[in-house]
Amino acid sequence: MSAIAPKFKLSEFIKSLLDNAFWAVLLASLIGLPIIQIVLFYIEMPVIDGELLTPFLALTWLADPTRSLPILKAFMATDMFRVMAFPGFGFAALIAAGTIFIERKMLAKLQLRVGPFYCGKIEGILQLAGDGLKLISKEIIIPAKADKPIFWAAPVIFVATAAAFVALIPVAPGWVVADIDLGLLGVFAVIGFFPIITILSAWSANSKFPFIGGIRALFQMVSFEIPLILSLLGVVILTGTLNLSEIAASQSSFPWIVFLPVGAIVFFITMLAELERIPFDLPEAESEIVAGWLTEFSGMMYGLVQLGTYLKLYAFAGLFVVLFLGGWNGPMVVPPFPEELLVGVELGPLTVGPFPGLPLFDQEMLNGTLWFVLKTVGVIFFILLPRGVFPRIRIDMLLSLGWTKLIGLAFVNIFIALGLLYAGVLGPGGLQ
Amino acid sequence: MSSDSEKPVVEAKPEEKPTPAKPTAKPEEKPVELPAFEKGISDKLVEKFGDKVEVDFVKDDRVGIKTSKENVHDVAQFIRDDLHYDHAESVTGVDYPADNEIEVVYHLGSYTESSLARQVLTLSTRAPRESNPIPGQDSTKLPSLRDIFYSVEFGEREVFEMLGVYFDGHPDNRRLLLPEDWADLPPLRKDFAIKGR
Amino acid sequence: MTDIMPPGLALKKVDERIMTLNVGPQHPGSGHMRIVVQIDGDYIVACDPDPGYVHRGEEKMAEYRNYITNVPHLERPVIHDSCNVLYPYVLGAEEILGIEVPERAKYVRVICSELNRCIYTMYWLAIYGIFLGHSTMFMWPAGDRELLIDLMEKVSGARVTHAHFIPGGVRNDLPANFEDVCLRQVNYFEKRIKEYAAVFYDNPILISRTQDTGVLSRENAIRYGTTGSVLRASGVDYDLRVKAPYDVYDELDVHTNVMKEGDSYARSKVPWLDMMESCNIIRQALQKMPKSGSVRTKLKPNPKTKGPATVYKRVESGRGSLGCYIVSDGKTEPYRVKMSVPSFRNLLAMPNLLIGEKLGNMPSVYWSLNYWPVEADR
Repeated sequence: MSAIAPKFKLSEFIKSLLDNAFWAVLLASLIGLPIIQIVLFYIEMPVIDGELLTPFLALTWLADPTRSLPILKAFMATDMFRVMAFPGFGFAALIAAGTIFIERKMLAKLQLRVGPFYCGKIEGILQLAGDGLKLISKEIIIPAKADKPIFWAAPVIFVATAAAFVALIPVAPGWVVADIDLGLLGVFAVIGFFPIITILSAWSANSKFPFIGGIRALFQMVSFEIPLILSLLGVVILTGTLNLSEIAASQSSFPWIVFLPVGAIVFFITMLAELERIPFDLPEAESEIVAGWLTEFSGMMYGLVQLGTYLKLYAFAGLFVVLFLGGWNGPMVVPPFPEELLVGVELGPLTVGPFPGLPLFDQEMLNGTLWFVLKTVGVIFFILLPRGVFPRIRIDMLLSLGWTKLIGLAFVNIFIALGLLYAGVLGPGGLQ
Repeated sequence: MSSDSEKPVVEAKPEEKPTPAKPTAKPEEKPVELPAFEKGISDKLVEKFGDKVEVDFVKDDRVGIKTSKENVHDVAQFIRDDLHYDHAESVTGVDYPADNEIEVVYHLGSYTESSLARQVLTLSTRAPRESNPIPGQDSTKLPSLRDIFYSVEFGEREVFEMLGVYFDGHPDNRRLLLPEDWADLPPLRKDFAIKGR
Repeated sequence: MTDIMPPGLALKKVDERIMTLNVGPQHPGSGHMRIVVQIDGDYIVACDPDPGYVHRGEEKMAEYRNYITNVPHLERPVIHDSCNVLYPYVLGAEEILGIEVPERAKYVRVICSELNRCIYTMYWLAIYGIFLGHSTMFMWPAGDRELLIDLMEKVSGARVTHAHFIPGGVRNDLPANFEDVCLRQVNYFEKRIKEYAAVFYDNPILISRTQDTGVLSRENAIRYGTTGSVLRASGVDYDLRVKAPYDVYDELDVHTNVMKEGDSYARSKVPWLDMMESCNIIRQALQKMPKSGSVRTKLKPNPKTKGPATVYKRVESGRGSLGCYIVSDGKTEPYRVKMSVPSFRNLLAMPNLLIGEKLGNMPSVYWSLNYWPVEADR
């Protein structure tokens, strides 16, 4: 008799399985199906093959698989898909997860150790999932004297703000969640939210170490926002637009880093500071102030802040790519979509297809996404690299760097841009 | 109790361990060739203070000086200013319940004087001991040497908590190592016994 | 009564703008101790170190055990430097018991002592790295330390708590073929630690962070009675291995590393230079060591002393001069054992150095004092 379940009986076990199945079917048919019907009745349905998709037709994909692709394609055209999946949250979270894994493995290789190794058999690929499960299962402890509503809200607002930042980044031509004319201004506005969230969460925790960490984060972010904004003005002067998609499209022949290396360097350094990465991780300097403004977070609240941090990391890397490295522009490497799939494939005696709804993505979009992801991963690599090389900087050194050197360099960058413009090298009558 | 136990202290000392040590110091000077340099140091002290100090031992690189608690401050002043010992390596308290005394030993060394680099001067003095100690409030008191050797600060704090010797003139006579709620005997006294031993 | 309150409770009522921080004992930047700091903005205005979190009463325990059984527990204050922390006690016990040590045992002691100094310093350096947020400098020394730990495991059978030095010599002879393995590992180790310069000691951010912080002048270093690397980083040329050689150090050529600056950077660099010197000493000792012979004078299980005596012996440990004062009353157990530990002596410099510094400098100044909280508490 096993010690784990001493009173195990097979008949009881099968009965419990049948019970569960019965209740699942009952609830699904009595509550689940009506809810699906009601939802489908109220939301606006797309037109597929010349006829309006009714709730009845929507369910027919269960019987007719050829209908599923058009429905999927119609769904991909919705804002919901863009926000949740592709250029928005889901895509960014996927890259963020990859970033965390790569960071840990790369840092481990740099430090002559193996890093995550056991979880998931192959090089610890499931370590992140394990960490996430652990964080979810942990108890959330709120300090007794904390300002509870703000303290609860802070991680959620942090992730939401990071996701808003992600929404502004164009990934491929036409693939951006919010394609607004003042996109870059929107980016500045979103970045301006982070110090407020940080100081709110730090203050509401009502504890000393988070408070010091929050003040440090506030100093750091506010003082680095000015060189950040100034360093991007060079690009705006040259392109004459604030729309991020247009800025990316303007670099079809050469990226702006060729003409504005100074601005790119300044932006990269300010980016490290805004992201609180080593060597600028003062708000979380563990040997001085435990974990800084994250000290009192526990469980999934901490997990949310980490998620937000890595979303922010992806968004900043994407912004760097869009502004300086040419965004989605790059040589066409994706092969064209095979034409025969559109008319049907002959597999011996029978012909399969044609598949309505193909291709799901066009060649332009796939190529743009590929180049964007490659460049972003490269930038992320360079953001992660200093962690293995540098010690932490001190707050007074950091502030003097931000307020004197970087602002000076940002102005140098603006003058370079203006010089290029007035000399006629770039802009109207110039190369572009 | 403390005042009348002081006088016997100086005379009653030889019963513990100076009995073998003290005769070896002076009378055996001829047969056991004492190291000359160390002898010079102890001679200077004896010359200055006469019978106020007592030479405990003179060995290779080590000189032992005993003095009473009234004179320890002056002797330490002389050791620093004229013999150029500049720091204390440790402050040790030793409990002698049989003598009803607690000995405090300062190990002094020198960084500045290169000839003294090998030397350690052992300056010891004794405080009266009470069987029911109230640390800081009873007669177990000694003058602090902190104004002469700054480096004894934490050592004297440790002796205070471990043996209950209060140092008059120490600016910071607080606990150092023991828990804040320690309410037992000072633990390094001999009547504080470890359980089971 | 207020002036004998425990630390932390006796702090006076202070201005509203002053914030009191309890750094430790459960804090990633404190070690096993508490530092009560008061900060005004980013500047430390008051600092009160409060050791004793891991006080184990080693000195009291030593009064209940005889001279041999004291060996394993007296090394516990610094298990990473366990040979050195035991060394003065063993020297003192030998004098009290009246034992001679064989020549080969003295060389084995020197080799073990220098290996342990490197093992300790690597651990200390790893923590110095992580205190400054340099995670690579945490992992590299912690990994390279294994080279020497393996050597010590070959010698003594234990990885950290060796209990290898005993009154009368060392416990075991060196294993066969040890000289070659030791030479190879030590040479590789020296090559490795020279690479630390590129990633750590020449790092511009590290230099700008630690230079001119926590400056301990030569006069103050002497006045506070500091020792070891802290003293040598302040320009005092004092190393017991040279100034007052014990065992066979007078037959070896030992070079003392001295730096004039007295700041955190110098204090962090001197132990690193000392490690290279240790490698030199090990090579010399391997060369000069008698190739065979006894390593241990046999003792009875409960050895008799010669009579009442007091002994004070000093050695140069990984942190500085480590003294052991033994009072014997002629019984088989010591009457009193006092460890004059370098961490405890260096601790006195800490409040004086930290006051007026920025909070961000606290870890670098604190850990550059070569301070090991467990040793200070004993």
